[in-house]
Amino acid sequence: MSHALVVGKGAAGTFSSWLLAKRGWEVTLVGRGTPSTALSTGCLRSVPNLCRAAISEFLNNESMPWASGEREGISRIGTSYRCWMSPAHSTWKQGETPKSIAVVGLDGHPSLLPRVASALLNGRKIRAAPFTLAGQVPSEVPLASSFRKDEAWEDLAEELQKMSVETILIPSLVTLQDYHRLDQLEGRCGRDVLEAITPLGSPGQRLADLMLSKAGEAGVTIWDGRKVTALDVKDDVVVGATVVGGMDARHLSVDAVILATGGPLVDGLVLKEREVSDPFGKFRVVRSAAPLTGGYDSLEGMLVNTEGRAMVNVAGAGDCLSSGSREYGSGLTEALESAYRAVRALEGT
Amino acid sequence: MRTDVLIIGGGATGAGIARDLALRGVNCLLLEMGDFCHGASGGNHGLLHSGGRYAVKDPTSASECALENAVLRSIAPFCIEDTGGLFVSLPEDDPSFADTFIGSCRSADVPLEELTAREALRSEPELISSVTRCLKVDDGSIDPFSLVQANVDDARSAGARVLNHCAVTGMTVEKGMVVEVKVRDRRGGVPSTMVPDIVVNAAGAWVDEVAKLAGCRVPMGLDQGSMLVMDGRQCRHVVNRLRPPSNGDIVVPNHTSTVLGTTSRPAGAPDDVAVSGEDVDLLIRETAAMMPSLRARRAIRTYGGVRPLLSGGGREASRSFAMLNDERAGNLLSVAGGKLTTYRLMAEKVSDRVCGMLGNRSECRTHREPLGPPAEGKGDSIPAARLVRKYGSLASSVDTTDTRVVCSCEQVLRSEVTAVLKAGDALTLADVMRRTRAGMGYCQGFDCSMSVLEIMVEQNGADPVSSLSEFLGERERGLGQASGDQLRQEMLRRHVLIGVYGLGDRE
Repeated sequence: MSHALVVGKGAAGTFSSWLLAKRGWEVTLVGRGTPSTALSTGCLRSVPNLCRAAISEFLNNESMPWASGEREGISRIGTSYRCWMSPAHSTWKQGETPKSIAVVGLDGHPSLLPRVASALLNGRKIRAAPFTLAGQVPSEVPLASSFRKDEAWEDLAEELQKMSVETILIPSLVTLQDYHRLDQLEGRCGRDVLEAITPLGSPGQRLADLMLSKAGEAGVTIWDGRKVTALDVKDDVVVGATVVGGMDARHLSVDAVILATGGPLVDGLVLKEREVSDPFGKFRVVRSAAPLTGGYDSLEGMLVNTEGRAMVNVAGAGDCLSSGSREYGSGLTEALESAYRAVRALEGT
Repeated sequence: MRTDVLIIGGGATGAGIARDLALRGVNCLLLEMGDFCHGASGGNHGLLHSGGRYAVKDPTSASECALENAVLRSIAPFCIEDTGGLFVSLPEDDPSFADTFIGSCRSADVPLEELTAREALRSEPELISSVTRCLKVDDGSIDPFSLVQANVDDARSAGARVLNHCAVTGMTVEKGMVVEVKVRDRRGGVPSTMVPDIVVNAAGAWVDEVAKLAGCRVPMGLDQGSMLVMDGRQCRHVVNRLRPPSNGDIVVPNHTSTVLGTTSRPAGAPDDVAVSGEDVDLLIRETAAMMPSLRARRAIRTYGGVRPLLSGGGREASRSFAMLNDERAGNLLSVAGGKLTTYRLMAEKVSDRVCGMLGNRSECRTHREPLGPPAEGKGDSIPAARLVRKYGSLASSVDTTDTRVVCSCEQVLRSEVTAVLKAGDALTLADVMRRTRAGMGYCQGFDCSMSVLEIMVEQNGADPVSSLSEFLGERERGLGQASGDQLRQEMLRRHVLIGVYGLGDRE
């Protein structure tokens, strides 16, 4: 069995690991830190043109059902958020805008801004009113951890029952394991429960957790919290890698590598002043005036070495690749599609 | 609305004049088109000059600075940090300049003390070790927002009326006198025509534009200067280069950051504050010659100001000031030139002249009376000291028992925002930022702006979209040159604001 090393545990790294494992590779996934997937809204903004079925299968999860198609939701400040795929409680089908919304914030916590969001919704001709639930949640405590206990959910359902509206917009509160609580809450309070679209919070973390667990279920060996510090290259072929975690350094023999380390935002590419560069010192980086679009050069899916030749067994995926026209917010779909392309490129070898 | 004196411009000069006149019992009204410190009063390094910088070239300004430095320390200690200042000479500098400098300071009465290189390095460890001479002076850092607000508050308690966000749009001149001034008020509700006996034009860089409304001209040498804000305090003292005033030779530690300054180029207009990439490179290169560690530090943002210099402009122009009026509008008195450190003196001279015109014989009191009642301390803790530094005597009105924080970069309490909004002058997010510092830290208001906005909507019913767009646009102007870690922060900010919230993309 061929052994693949995948570096990076965000969307691109987990999806390519999962695809490779399904295709019979032995896969080791090495990742560290917080991938940008975990900073995202946990929704797929743009429609995948490639591998839609594989994406749906990869993201399928019993406790957190997905909705796809032309979807619309409300950001935590009240602006409209359109996407193609989201957790079921994050969005509605475009055109089926709720008639009236109670925007429910929690006192002392900035995760959903009820007054700002209501003012913005009213400006968009959606009837909305702000509510703030007392019972102070200190702003430094992540909301999800305040809502681990059943009593907190009982209290919330009781409060929400009193509101005479069709839909209730709440802050993003739940982890992946707790997602079913939103269904329970909907049942208890008899209103549609909508979760505000929130970056840098639990929705992104949920998605990252889900993806990593799917890779694990597919048989991928996951080395979390470790870093690939060096790649051994012979004649444009990577034959091994050094993986460091704490005091422990290991050498790994590999037949193929996918770099899905992320862009400069998460330190996947080194950013010095306004220039990005390759932390391994092996591959060519396309520089660009806009640092957002700089990244690894590739040729038919394979990375290009510093001499300009395509590597034989190293592909790239996700934000670490150079991208001519990366749009804000479309990164997840692109990451998944590029992971699919990377796997195809390696299979072709 | 009738008033004896109408003052146009809510920078340090205008606010100082309002306070001075009000303390002399003169009925006056101050109008500011934006927020206080809209122009150069908010676009400078926050350096309380000892006078050293001007001693060689402009001894009059140097003496004025030295005197006013002492006055401000006694009347407004809350907004000043007594950091002291160092003038340092490097091997590549002209060795004879240090002696010329010492002689000039002595004759201009600018106090100074020479340190040995060893003493200099001990008191300022980040200085380059090759420093050859070091002179210690009475420079300090000053918070211009807090200073001007204190002048406004004190003017009000002495009876003056002061309105920000009120722009003068036109003047009617009859028989060589301004008889009517037209005003556009952002709040609404204030009469749009003012009838003054005397108009004081203290509009700073806009002084010529205001004079034109009355058919007069004030030739100015507008001059843009760029500054770079570094995260954290990088030195203990204000650090100056001991050489003829040039670009990039001042480092000022202030609040939670350090400001590097400055540059000089002719400005095309009063609001031509744009900072170029070359300016940023120059500021880092020049200041790092004195303090090499600055190269490795995180630059948060840039900002610019336009110096309202007397005609000629540039580094050679006098930092002194002038009062001008002519027969085309005999009751319009324009003030041009000057600098933050000497704002009170300018205000005194202008007020003397105004009182002369009005036949009022009261004497100036602004150099003797403290700016507002003494700040009531809430202990010596760092948070309490920070509140006093920002709000002066109003610090005691902040409810410190509510520990909720809205801006984690600058540790701004929710109750500070509430207190500032209650005081009434802050209409926009940027207004709140200038008073509380919420949004001035390294995240540049990325997240706290939303929390502050929530409080504003709750208290004032502010329109969230326009307020937010205006604020984020203003912050973004300072981030165009971001690099390194600050660029990563900026990328995240743009992902969230544009990608998720859909802000900034709207037409």
